[in-house]
Amino acid sequence: MSARNVEGGTPVRTAPRREITPGAALPLLGFLLLAALFPFLPLGSRAEFLLQIAFFTLVAGIMALSWDILARSGQVSLAHAAFYGLGAYGYALLLKAGLPWLLAMPVAALLAGGVSLILGAVTMRLSGMYFAIATLAFTEVVRTIIQNLPESVAGGATGLLVPALLGGNSRAQYFLAWGLLAFTVLVSLAVRLTRLHFAFAAIRQGEETARVLGVSIVRFKLLAFFISSSLAALAGVLYAGKTFFINPLETFSLANSIAPLTTSIFGGLYTTLGPVLGAGVLRVAEELLHNSVKNGYLVVYGLVLMLSILWLPRGLMGLRRGRKHGGDL
Amino acid sequence: MTYTLNRTSPTANDVGQELRIEGLAAGYGKVQVLWDVSLHAAPGEFVAVIGANGAGKTTTLRAVSGVVKPSAGRITLGGVDITRAEPSRVVALGLGHVPEGRELFPHMTVRENLDLGAAMSAAARARAAETLGEVYALFPRLQERAGQLAGTLSGGEQQMVAVGRALMARPSVLVVDEPSLGLSPLMTQTVFEALKAVNAQGVTVVLVEQNVNLSLKLAHRAYVLENGQVVKEGTGAALLADPAVREAYLAL
Repeated sequence: MSARNVEGGTPVRTAPRREITPGAALPLLGFLLLAALFPFLPLGSRAEFLLQIAFFTLVAGIMALSWDILARSGQVSLAHAAFYGLGAYGYALLLKAGLPWLLAMPVAALLAGGVSLILGAVTMRLSGMYFAIATLAFTEVVRTIIQNLPESVAGGATGLLVPALLGGNSRAQYFLAWGLLAFTVLVSLAVRLTRLHFAFAAIRQGEETARVLGVSIVRFKLLAFFISSSLAALAGVLYAGKTFFINPLETFSLANSIAPLTTSIFGGLYTTLGPVLGAGVLRVAEELLHNSVKNGYLVVYGLVLMLSILWLPRGLMGLRRGRKHGGDL
Repeated sequence: MTYTLNRTSPTANDVGQELRIEGLAAGYGKVQVLWDVSLHAAPGEFVAVIGANGAGKTTTLRAVSGVVKPSAGRITLGGVDITRAEPSRVVALGLGHVPEGRELFPHMTVRENLDLGAAMSAAARARAAETLGEVYALFPRLQERAGQLAGTLSGGEQQMVAVGRALMARPSVLVVDEPSLGLSPLMTQTVFEALKAVNAQGVTVVLVEQNVNLSLKLAHRAYVLENGQVVKEGTGAALLADPAVREAYLAL
């Protein structure tokens, strides 16, 4: 069809702009490829330190992207720290119980996913602020429970020692984190390219209408919770295995719930590339600021974040010209 | 204007099914809206339900969809009891619902809104491309606007998307809630003729309307709803000629 003039001579764009082309995946592939090559750079004497920052950038990417998957279904959660923490603690306790690490990791993720179904069921009828507050309270509940388990079980307030992941080999740890981020990206793309995309988007934009159109609200909301929380738990496993010491206060810290939210908003909500890119940019910026503005780098960091949210309502994804809406992965 | 729906290979859902409501009572919390609503639409029939604001027209449709749970009565779709079924099951059984006020997803494009309509059933997804062609044939305007955000469309175009979205699931019964709301007479005419064309393809249509004149002219049969009860029924022509209807709804 050619462009036609209707209603007062306004040119009408006929080509659907929302079509997703294979090319849309290129930036994503590029990012992952660069990340894979990072350990091979001549990093010099600071290699260990830089590799650690890069490791936690990948973890931040998993957290942000998994949070975004849940947000796509209209559930703006402040419970991501809970599942991050459940992954970390679940992994540590399963190792203690004698499971091999390769098995402990997915089992911890699935357990956290299972727990998320309880939260999802309880918050099913809540939305917006009430939902956010309920998820925040849930995080506190989980933290309190872990903290008050007998010290011989979960280490109490002091914390728990975790065997180092992959024998403490930084490079191997980095590639494991990379693999899990790549896995999260694949899951996110699967959500974007199947009917889950429509179900989540419909629920997010109008639950009543979604119901009338045949979307099973309960099923898809819980599914979003399960996917998102299991992935967050994998990030928690990486954290536990990297720092080899976890305690309730830091693991379940509110910062771990807020960071994925700000990262996704900064990068571009409801996309796959946005939260991953956001994590990359924000973590690097944070480290650079940390080095140059020793005291109060958080103030500058916060300002950068505020300004970018003000000026870039669609995040980094909004910067791409000719893509006002749609076509993004 | 004439419209065509080119249905090439009929499936079960291409044939209209019967919708039957018996002694329906429903409401919201302690407020009872429907007291005793009985009506039916035979396979392939075009039935209008008219009545004033607050008569219970929308609630009736919402009960059919399963969004409102009835306190009494029975609803069947093609003979299957759907009285307290979940909305997703009702849709799977062949009901298409065009909600009051259109309720599009404004931040999605026209095309995405349409795709969404087909997304929830495997059968509809398998034939989505074909159905999309039919919807575009019915509303050529939607093809021109395919890439535009639904929220930026005119009221009439939005109503076309709402009807198209419901059709994408290939329903056997289409219930349409107040499509003329806020539309110009010309646009109303366009939308109604499209519904007529859909009906002509065999889809059962139940239209709830305040535009009594047009609805009665279009429908095979019609019901008058007052205070949650059916007070009159008859052919469209008979009700149009009924002095009580003319006085109450046509101000003649």
